[in-house]
Amino acid sequence: MIKVLKEGLFSTIQDSGRFGYKNIGVPVSGAMDQTSAKLANLILGNDESAAVLEMTLLGPTLEFLNDIYISITGADMNPMVNKKKVLLNETLLIKKGDILYLANSSNGMRTYLGIRGGLNSEKILGSKSFYKGITKKEKLIKNDQIEFDLSISSPKKINQNFNDIKINRNSKIKVFKGPEFGCLDPISQDIIFNNEFTIGVNNRMAYNLVEIIENKIPSIVSSPLMPGTIQLTPSGRVIILCRDCQTTGGYPRILQLDKNSLDCLSQKVTGKKINFHLNESL
Amino acid sequence: MKRNNIFFKVFNEESILIHWNDQVNLKLIDTIISYQKLIEQELSEVLIECVQSINSMMVIYDPNKINSEDLVNTLQKLNSSDVKVAKSEKKIWKIPVCYDLSFGIDLEDMSTLNSISVDEIIKIHSSTTYSVLSMGFLPGFLYLGVNDKKLYCERKDKPELNIKSGSIGIARDQTGIYPQDSPGGWKIIGRSPISFFNVNDKSPCFSKPGDKIKFQSISFSEFNKIEKRKNSYKIKYEVV
Repeated sequence: MIKVLKEGLFSTIQDSGRFGYKNIGVPVSGAMDQTSAKLANLILGNDESAAVLEMTLLGPTLEFLNDIYISITGADMNPMVNKKKVLLNETLLIKKGDILYLANSSNGMRTYLGIRGGLNSEKILGSKSFYKGITKKEKLIKNDQIEFDLSISSPKKINQNFNDIKINRNSKIKVFKGPEFGCLDPISQDIIFNNEFTIGVNNRMAYNLVEIIENKIPSIVSSPLMPGTIQLTPSGRVIILCRDCQTTGGYPRILQLDKNSLDCLSQKVTGKKINFHLNESL
Repeated sequence: MKRNNIFFKVFNEESILIHWNDQVNLKLIDTIISYQKLIEQELSEVLIECVQSINSMMVIYDPNKINSEDLVNTLQKLNSSDVKVAKSEKKIWKIPVCYDLSFGIDLEDMSTLNSISVDEIIKIHSSTTYSVLSMGFLPGFLYLGVNDKKLYCERKDKPELNIKSGSIGIARDQTGIYPQDSPGGWKIIGRSPISFFNVNDKSPCFSKPGDKIKFQSISFSEFNKIEKRKNSYKIKYEVV
């Protein structure tokens, strides 16, 4: 069991997502940076979709009430066990009574804590991912206790090289053309691919960009959306939808991030600059 | 069956968007829903889920099991094949609604805007048979159509911050049911005392796109009576 001593800014339990309920309006949710969450699990020999802890910008302080193997991936929150610094992307043996401190993230936005065997929270509609209105909890708070499976002790021997899984945070943000891209005038199309954009207000639902693109496209009838869909609002705001986005919407879908780029984006903090590059691989 | 106006677009690495260029109407929605059922029936091996709207559908699949090109071909073949969808019951769900002014906070406003009495709004709304057009916005939010022209009204300019669960709203030619407390911009004409979304049920929502719904006007005291036993209330329906 893990006891939350300090809650940090925003920590949630996430897995690979909630599938099969989008048609009744339930968002997919799941870890924002799927690559890092998967890595946290694979290091421990877990199923890659096992539930992990996603921690945002400022991490929590956690007390472990049992011996367990853990891993920490994603942004560097300067993790320390008791007063000793520990490494990212490694198997770590935690002893009963140890305290894990996670501070401010330095080279990204989201850190993942993997637990051997996965976290053991309530599964709702096939997933443990927190989402308001679906799971009882929206985020972890002080004194929460998170269970894990004690029957699984040592990690499986792994002979895998994880370098190909580790996310390249400097990699380009690549996009496919969205269904309504062709409705944009050529000047706007040009602006998108030849300008820098700034990350504005953001959360698990969406990343807003600061810059405005003039929008002359009329609204469309409410249509399906996916995480990574870029919408253009009537006032010209550019919104990149993320894992907790709603399932349908009526704003033109001008672009679609590829999966790796969505993981990259979710490590970018407010104020960071991004460029869009066309992915022509489809 | 004439199905020429259909387009397939590879949307990302794991989804195909199917779009119909037809006039949006109830017949098109039926076409989309029966195609969706066919896909769910025939392609369950590779399918993760379908998300339907009133003139398109997203097919989300497992790219480890099929590539996009093969899937589009399969979808096209399926669309022009004679494979039949297993028939399922069509239901008309009966939803109790209290149109009291304390719940229908926008009834008087609508009455003025549309030059129609509050009683007339209630009469039209509770005698129309609505179709579930699609779901979205919130888990279990139902988009219902089509409103009588006399009830047509635009959304509010400024959304309300807290629309209560069970509220029945109107926006343009659609009616909607709020399954949970939420901000919202639809004009609110009444409230149902029942529970519309239960995450602990295998099917969390009582209804699905393609079903029909009829609203039944209830009094304030009936509202209170039903609300007290909302968790055990069984929504009544008629099979058509």
